[in-house]
Amino acid sequence: MENLLLNSVEKNLSQFMFTNAIFLCQRLLAQFPSEVNLQLLARCYLSNSQAYSAYYILKGSKMPQSRYLFAFSCFKLDLLGEAETALLPSKEYIEEVPGGAAGHYLLGLIYRYAGRKNSSIQQFRMALSLDPLCWEAYGELCSLGAAEEASTVFSNVSSHCLQKTCVAQKVSFSEGAIIDQLTDSDKASKDARLWQTEDAPGESQQDLKIKQFGPDIPPDTYRQLNNSSHTNVWDLKTPSPVLSQVLDAPPPLLYKNMRRPAVEGLMSVHGESRRKYVSEEMSAEVAEESGRRRSARIAARKKIPISQSFGKDSQWLHLSPSESNYVPSLSSMIGKCKIQSSKEATTSDQSISDRGSCVNDDEYSNPNGSSADRFSLVSGISEVLNLLKILGDGHRHLLMYNCQEALLVYQKLSQKQYNTHWVLMQVGKAYFELQDYFNADSVFTLVHQHCSLYRPASISMLLFCFSDFLSLVLKHLKEEMRLGYLAQELISVDRLSPETWCAVGNCYSLRKDHETALKMFQRAIQLNERFTYAHTLCGHEFAALEEFEYAERCYRRALSIDTRHYNAWYGLGMTYLHLEKYEFAQNQFQMALQINPRSSVIMCYSGIALHESKRNDEALKMMEKAIIADTKNPLPKYYKANILANLGDYHKAKKVLEELKDCAPQESSVHALLGKIYKQLKLYDKAVLHFGTALDLNPSPSDAAKIKAYMERLIVPDELETEENL
Amino acid sequence: MATESSESEEEGKIRGGNDKLNIDDDLREMGKNAAWSVSSCKPGNGVATLRDDNLETYWQSDGLQPHLINIQFQKKVRLQLVFVYVDFKLDESYTPSRISIRAGDGFHNLKEIKSVELVKPTGWVCLSLSGTDPRETFVNTFMLQIAILSNHLNGRDTHIRQIKVYGPRPNPIPRQPFQFTSAEFLTYSTLR
Repeated sequence: MENLLLNSVEKNLSQFMFTNAIFLCQRLLAQFPSEVNLQLLARCYLSNSQAYSAYYILKGSKMPQSRYLFAFSCFKLDLLGEAETALLPSKEYIEEVPGGAAGHYLLGLIYRYAGRKNSSIQQFRMALSLDPLCWEAYGELCSLGAAEEASTVFSNVSSHCLQKTCVAQKVSFSEGAIIDQLTDSDKASKDARLWQTEDAPGESQQDLKIKQFGPDIPPDTYRQLNNSSHTNVWDLKTPSPVLSQVLDAPPPLLYKNMRRPAVEGLMSVHGESRRKYVSEEMSAEVAEESGRRRSARIAARKKIPISQSFGKDSQWLHLSPSESNYVPSLSSMIGKCKIQSSKEATTSDQSISDRGSCVNDDEYSNPNGSSADRFSLVSGISEVLNLLKILGDGHRHLLMYNCQEALLVYQKLSQKQYNTHWVLMQVGKAYFELQDYFNADSVFTLVHQHCSLYRPASISMLLFCFSDFLSLVLKHLKEEMRLGYLAQELISVDRLSPETWCAVGNCYSLRKDHETALKMFQRAIQLNERFTYAHTLCGHEFAALEEFEYAERCYRRALSIDTRHYNAWYGLGMTYLHLEKYEFAQNQFQMALQINPRSSVIMCYSGIALHESKRNDEALKMMEKAIIADTKNPLPKYYKANILANLGDYHKAKKVLEELKDCAPQESSVHALLGKIYKQLKLYDKAVLHFGTALDLNPSPSDAAKIKAYMERLIVPDELETEENL
Repeated sequence: MATESSESEEEGKIRGGNDKLNIDDDLREMGKNAAWSVSSCKPGNGVATLRDDNLETYWQSDGLQPHLINIQFQKKVRLQLVFVYVDFKLDESYTPSRISIRAGDGFHNLKEIKSVELVKPTGWVCLSLSGTDPRETFVNTFMLQIAILSNHLNGRDTHIRQIKVYGPRPNPIPRQPFQFTSAEFLTYSTLR
């Protein structure tokens, strides 16, 4: 009965029938109480987003997997302290952090949320050393500003480490790689076989445990086929006490979350945590992965006929003909590795009793020698690592705001990888940070179109990912209609995503309806407290409404979540500028510049603040820096001229403005300033000419009034001049 | 400039009113930063009704003419337009007829800057504060006082449903002499 229930629960989990799974699992637990069953129930609860239930039942459990699940539930419930104590090794428990790399990653996140930056960096580094494919850990390190070069992280050392885990993880691969591509008939046959083979062996302790850790156990032992249905949903990794290393069974969603198909089998324990964090992190990865996988899958499908067994080849690796009878399991690159693993499995002493059905393995687990397989394993690993290296480099550069380098790095990717949504998003963001809004716009439109090739659901995910940027880009380019349309689309697709509300808020902000924009941004914050950008945008809106205290509060809240969010520093600086607290403003701009040293806009304002604090030499130097940093930005030159004019150096100011006038002939303020300068230089006719041009270029009404007033006053001091000057 | 109701032929007389408030982008409502007070009111129809964005509620005065609405700011502000919502059809003899707008530093030195006569107004009535000099579009002041000198049909008390005060937007970039107009300059002027 226990087996029956167990399998049923697993099946339900994989088919997302969570409530049914919970019910069955509760019966199972009642009848056969054991810690392992408890873990299974916790898994069911966590899959059904009932973190509190999982927390309650797991309280006090000692097994590493239980501790990991418990810590996870605590994390979901925001009980960071308890989560931390559960994860940290203590004298009574095992020395290691449960969950291996995933445990370290979770611990890192906990420390990060608690603001303990150094500890979190340490944990992320541990996670990466245990499992080089824990990309999220690297991503977090990048955003904390503490990432090392990608080449050191994804290097030969990690390659060796991966190999070891690969070989050891014989069991996991086949399962890991599976995806839900198999037909129902396949499933049915598998299930049938499953029941058979399960009944076959006795209820040995081993078997029990194996079933517990379901997909982790070589399916080839009892079921030859990809019981994808069974394995897909296994989000939680169970470092089995039986097998000392981490086993992986990426859940389907995780699967989508994977960076590349190849990693399936190597997907480490952080897998499940990744799935959970899908909601937190941008589901950018998801759609991208699904896209990439799908293409891999489709290509793969065509190549290999379905037959029994697992393991499949993708276009990345070359399979020997002996593998023709592999089932196309769309996942992987790891096809080779799986084959490897299966072979290992067959020869492993980990043997699971019912290996009868392993027969097929033996057929093609052909001894081309483990050396050949090893080689393919190595080459698979190195391909993955190379890919990760490039992506890691690009990501790190982007988060250090070395946007040009990031763009160059991303160019190195193959076409297929480049055209995926995650990469394009990064590229778009890079352009955005460079203030190259036109390019950013085109990239984001490309992503938008790309995703319409896939199911509409993925459109929404893509939109969430880039809507905040896209809407900001559009806002800058003042394309209100497009923005409105995008916002409508977003709301209809997913009302529960904070990015949607940010996009809508930006629409209102563009129309200068700051109060409504504020309401939208506050909704976004309600949906996700830790969405830094929403806080910053709130701050911007308050600033626009001149409620500077509230603005300051919002910016500080954003900074408490993420100190490296330079927009919030910039916002604070602007607020202080408005409040005329120039020293403070200067400090804030300095902080922003430390994070993003290439931003000419920030340098400009820093210069203004310096000028107002009477540190004019530094101000001029800062303007020079700004001019060099971004030649397309006309503002530093304008401000430089302004400062020079205020200092009385009219000739230099005039020269700067004359150049500027040629670059930007439509700008009325340039002419207005020129007019003022000519007036000081007593060249009244030129002054009048420029004031006139300035007026023609549609200045704002208050400026128009000012300019007219200047024109009037031109005539007054020179009583001898006649009205011809008018 | 905001669209005005149908102007009358004679100077100083305004007929009719707009149903909707059409304001340019470069103006913004300044009333939030001000202290509002009235010379007298009937309980239940106090000064809050002037600012509640609800056209159903109205302020009703309860004393001798002229009835006064005082708007005081903490610092000198530039104001351009005043919009008053009144409705002859609903309020008849309570509808204001002659309105005088005064500005100054405080109660002691208010000076009249505008005087209008309304003729059966229904809706938003726009009172522009620019002086006779077309170049002076704004009035720069600490305090504004709206005085209701007389009502239609010689009514004693008056009803006013809503008042809005508009001034130019401040320069979004502080400490800058002139605002930017062209797209290239504007894209580089802020970060989000």
